[in-house]
Amino acid sequence: MNALDALPSILVTLAAGAWTAARIAAGALVIALAGGLALALLVHASSGGSLAGRLLRGVVAALIEWARNVPALAHLFLLYFGLASVGLRLSPMAAAILGLGGIGAATLCDVFVAALKSLHVGQREAALAAGLTPWQTLRFVLLPQMLRLVMPALANFASQLLKDTSLASAIAAPEIMFFARQLVTSTFQTPLIYASALALYAAMLLPLGWVLSRFETRLTRGRLEATP
Amino acid sequence: MTEFFALYADQLADWLPRLRQAALLTVALSLLGFALALLLGAGWVAMQRSGRPWPRRVAQAAIQGLRTVPLLALLLALYFALPALGLRLSGFWAGVLGLGLHGSAYVAELLRGGLAAVHRGQSEAALSAGLTPLHTLRFVVLPQALRVMLPPLLNSYVALLKDSSLCALIATDELMLTARAIASESFLPLHIFLLVGAFYFAIAFPLSMASRLLQQRLSRGRRGQGAT
Repeated sequence: MNALDALPSILVTLAAGAWTAARIAAGALVIALAGGLALALLVHASSGGSLAGRLLRGVVAALIEWARNVPALAHLFLLYFGLASVGLRLSPMAAAILGLGGIGAATLCDVFVAALKSLHVGQREAALAAGLTPWQTLRFVLLPQMLRLVMPALANFASQLLKDTSLASAIAAPEIMFFARQLVTSTFQTPLIYASALALYAAMLLPLGWVLSRFETRLTRGRLEATP
Repeated sequence: MTEFFALYADQLADWLPRLRQAALLTVALSLLGFALALLLGAGWVAMQRSGRPWPRRVAQAAIQGLRTVPLLALLLALYFALPALGLRLSGFWAGVLGLGLHGSAYVAELLRGGLAAVHRGQSEAALSAGLTPLHTLRFVVLPQALRVMLPPLLNSYVALLKDSSLCALIATDELMLTARAIASESFLPLHIFLLVGAFYFAIAFPLSMASRLLQQRLSRGRRGQGAT
């Protein structure tokens, strides 16, 4: 039998894995964005202040350092195998989303803090003085300006995240590499299967990168036109 | 809580020697991988900077391609698919090769950025003073570029160190695989994965801190220069 005859069925199986990978990446992205922004606001807002505030910030800073200096795989094993051993059983998908999302929040926190710092403090003060609530100030004044600053880093993070979903195969989430390894044991078309998997990642990442860079230029174009 | 830590006291005599051994392998793996990444990265940059279009295009394609491939897919392909094409690598050397290839794309960007950060007048002045191109690079450009490159290079070593945990999935007895083996013997996954996380943290965190301090000193120095 020609090896290429197996290609259609290989691609169909791997495509199912791509759908799982996309769902993991989307879920983790939401957690990373929301968590990263929340952490950044916490770190940025409570400079100085009470003992409790400083303690909280210390704990958050320690957690962020832990998330950054420990491999993602260790986090996935902790969430999937570690928590199960004390009775908290997460599905592979949930563990992957939580793990990658949590690490992402720690990564993006820094990005958001830098963006918050670079906005003039007058922006916030003026918005609050004009009678906007703190939430409205964030939503309508600070976030739109931050988005332009952080977009390149976010685009980078999103592509990285999509690639990192491959780690979820280590905790048996049925994504691309999981199916690839399964296919290898059943069909033995090893080079063909791994080549297809690599091509599939490229097929997901290249359009994603294109869309993100289009979005980025649109954001900066608005900026350039507004400047004069 | 005390119960939790009491369990460590029972196990550490058995675990620590094994983890220490595995940590040495992780360090060797990541250092060799990083050395390869530096060599390849320097090679890509040299090709990018050459006058002819072909080397430039090849380097560009290599960097782009390596960036779209998840490391895990690359490692599995090197370990499982290459033997089918007649090249059999042990898990360790497949790991070094995969980490080096993967890291080289990032290192190349850093090296390029570092060289670009040195003002063109520096190399022009050196060349017109009669230095050969090699001497210009060695004595004028590199010493200045290294200062800029060192902090991000440290960060990319930390990233590579964390990435080396993926070699657990291609049967390399480094920290993560050893931890998995211990977890399945002892039924204490939470304990062992926290401990192995601490091992990674102990290696990575000082390097991350050093990178940050160097970065701060560098930007302070540059501000100082700007003021005078």
